[in-house]
Amino acid sequence: MLSLLLLIPFLGSLLLVLWPGQPAPGLMRKVAILVLCLQVAWSGAVLLAFDPLQGGLQLQETLPWIQGIGLTYSLAIDGLSLPLVLINGALSLVAVICTRDISQRPRVYFALLLLISAAVNGAFLAQNLLLFLLFYELELIPLWLLISVWGGAGKAMAATKFLIFTAVSGILILATFLALAVLRGSVDFSFLPVTSEQLGLSSQLSLLAMLLVGFGIKVPLVPFHSWLADAHTQASTPVSVLLAGVLLKLGTYGILRFGLGLFPEAWAVMAPWLAIWAAVSVLYGSLAAIAQRDMKRMVAYSSVGHMGSILLAAAAATPVSLLGAEFQMVSHGLISALLFLLVGIVYRKTGTRDLEVLRGLLNPERGLPFTGTLMILGVMASAGMPGMSGFISEFLVFRGAMSPFPTATLLCMVGSGLTAVYFLLLVNRVFFGRLAITPTAPDPLRHSRLDILLAPVAARETIPATALAMAVVVMGVVPALLGTLSESTTTAMARIPAIVQALASQGVG
Amino acid sequence: MPVIPELLTRSGGQPAAAELERRLLAGETLLADSPTHVMQVVDVLESYGIVLDAYSRNLIYQAEQQFLNPFPVFKYLDGDHSPAKIWRHLNHDRINFEYAEYCMRAMLWHGTGGLDAYLDGQPFHQSCEAIIRCKTQRDPLLAVLNPLFPEFLPELIRTAATTHALGQFWRVMSDLFIDLAEAEHQGQLASVEAIVEFIKDGLVAAAANPITYQVSVAGQPFWILPPEAGLTFLVDVAVPYVEAVFLRGTPFLGTVSFNAQAQQISPDQRAFAYGALYADPLPTMGAGIPPSLLMQDMFRHLPERLHHWYQEQGRGEGDVRVKICMSFQKAMFCVTNAAIRGTFPHPLSTADAAERSANQAYAAAWASRLSQARTDCLDALDDAMPRLEVAVAGQA
Repeated sequence: MLSLLLLIPFLGSLLLVLWPGQPAPGLMRKVAILVLCLQVAWSGAVLLAFDPLQGGLQLQETLPWIQGIGLTYSLAIDGLSLPLVLINGALSLVAVICTRDISQRPRVYFALLLLISAAVNGAFLAQNLLLFLLFYELELIPLWLLISVWGGAGKAMAATKFLIFTAVSGILILATFLALAVLRGSVDFSFLPVTSEQLGLSSQLSLLAMLLVGFGIKVPLVPFHSWLADAHTQASTPVSVLLAGVLLKLGTYGILRFGLGLFPEAWAVMAPWLAIWAAVSVLYGSLAAIAQRDMKRMVAYSSVGHMGSILLAAAAATPVSLLGAEFQMVSHGLISALLFLLVGIVYRKTGTRDLEVLRGLLNPERGLPFTGTLMILGVMASAGMPGMSGFISEFLVFRGAMSPFPTATLLCMVGSGLTAVYFLLLVNRVFFGRLAITPTAPDPLRHSRLDILLAPVAARETIPATALAMAVVVMGVVPALLGTLSESTTTAMARIPAIVQALASQGVG
Repeated sequence: MPVIPELLTRSGGQPAAAELERRLLAGETLLADSPTHVMQVVDVLESYGIVLDAYSRNLIYQAEQQFLNPFPVFKYLDGDHSPAKIWRHLNHDRINFEYAEYCMRAMLWHGTGGLDAYLDGQPFHQSCEAIIRCKTQRDPLLAVLNPLFPEFLPELIRTAATTHALGQFWRVMSDLFIDLAEAEHQGQLASVEAIVEFIKDGLVAAAANPITYQVSVAGQPFWILPPEAGLTFLVDVAVPYVEAVFLRGTPFLGTVSFNAQAQQISPDQRAFAYGALYADPLPTMGAGIPPSLLMQDMFRHLPERLHHWYQEQGRGEGDVRVKICMSFQKAMFCVTNAAIRGTFPHPLSTADAAERSANQAYAAAWASRLSQARTDCLDALDDAMPRLEVAVAGQA
């Protein structure tokens, strides 16, 4: 059943590549939409088949592949990965829908998008370390191509930076997995936790540190974040949607699944430092966002801040904080995708994202009022306003982490408060006041009288953003929809370190 | 490839006061002459004429039939209380009479000219006393309110007098604008100059029309603006109206930063410059922007020719009210132009040095105020304005 989640986009990608003749870009887009609709529908079928009360892995599929090196084709799903699979399908569909007017190699473009969707699904479903790594690396090249071919003016530099950072990330993760196998003395790449019986604590700590740096690059956590803002700035809107909404989640998923799951003992030792790291990341991301004048870079840095709180939740590893981490992953996926879509609309219509240039886009007849309305909703959700998904996720993270790490949690709360600062700056500058899309002229009177002629935003252009905004509100009003899916799994995960510690304190291990 | 923001902006020139003064003294029009300007001004004034007709009837109805009514719930229905009319009203299928009241209040608040002077005088007070005496004998609520707030009922009567006077003023203007459109349709007008001249002639012809107002309380007639007060159309109502609505106006939320405590609004009411000639058309349809009501009303009665032209411009019907506002501003410059022309102290062709000097001072005073107004609308840019989708096609 789960294999189809990989096969549908893979075959779709292949179909696009092998499509005979020179098909029109519109046709390629329609085929990609159809394939992704199938993928979303099948994700829905998996959702129906999933038993949320069961905390463990479900719908398992195992096939021996290259047994000599311990590579097994092993897929399964649990409450941690299912929401991410669902959001991957949805955001891939959004990315394809919001790709318009693509004239350059549409066939390859859509094929790469489908390939990324398949690889991400594979990474979330893989139950073998090498298989995970295979999928983790598989999305790298397509994304690099999407930035370097279809990106903005500085795409070469941004794409190379992205490639170098994420390649290092992959190498570190691979090195960790291999070292683990070597130190364990077996080629078993299953997800079983490592105990001190198998491996000394110092070795565990070293491996965990490598893993954290590897996934920390992907999340990204400060100081490994510098590729993100450049990649977002140069990537087209659909690629930014995928990058922020889905691909960053691979990093946090890896931290939760492998950092916490493989090295529970070392995790317990390192957790206080991780909480501090999270606080630094959140504060740095938020403060950097305040300083930005490009809307896209501001949203990108807000990602650094918000993804940092997932590390805090993981460090605390309480049932509530881990549920909060799951909520934050989904919520951040939806909100950042929404914000990137809206920034994309603003850029397409005005030709700029400069906060020093744009003014008054909420203007009812000449501006982009509906886009502005959705943007205000999006930034409110991002700032954690009650009634939207951002509130639920941040509340759960902070509630869960407050008891073990009060100082780090308070610092993260300050960072979360800063979200309101930079997004209010954004909304106030870009959407309020007198409509303007040019830098203030030397003659302010003349500038204040410019007649602005922006193309209107067609209703169909805002359908994906409207759908995401509705999802953000629904998740905020009925959090149980996601909570019931993930609660059993996250509660079970929270028990792992506790069990290990209990065993260790009794001298059994 | 993204659009270049500069492609999406444009602005007309802003002539200096000296240039405006020169145009006024040379008998030139302020608004540039172009076929689209003629079409915009004539058609927007035609729809304005239709709307003013409704405003005028309603203001006169309110002043006469809803006089001192403490709960004027049906004041916008012009006396037609049929269920169909009430349903249309509730459904907002109606003219926004609130805009007419807004203009009336601007006039009342700025209070310039002969009408305001009369409303502060002794004869008016005496009329008020007589009316209040008669009214309070029959209305217990007003009988209680009057001793508690002795200025309340006189102020309501002032409001009613201004309402009626504005109704009479707009009656004349409505007919004038509809006649103007008719003349243009018959081919009698083909230039901005001819439009300004037509309006000037209409204003001059109506200049001496008496402004009077009589109410009936309990079947007993009372003069509020009696004929012997000698109030006339041009000096006592038209000029204060232009001062209050065209020039001074009121700062409303949405167009200017509105922090009177920080002195962002001049404490000197005479220095106000928020009127129709100064207002920014872009915020039209924003919350709390009263001219939006007028633009919506004019949109309901837009002549087909102008409607079609707007559909070809910018966002088509998406920003039609902003475009109506821009055309309306051009038309109001023509009306102001005509009013200035009609009120020069001496003929422009005079050879007498003293008279020329007086004319020059008069033109300079107007030019100085108008130079701060939205004179950027005076240039003829529209002929070069393509439909937006065409302008940015392939760039977005």
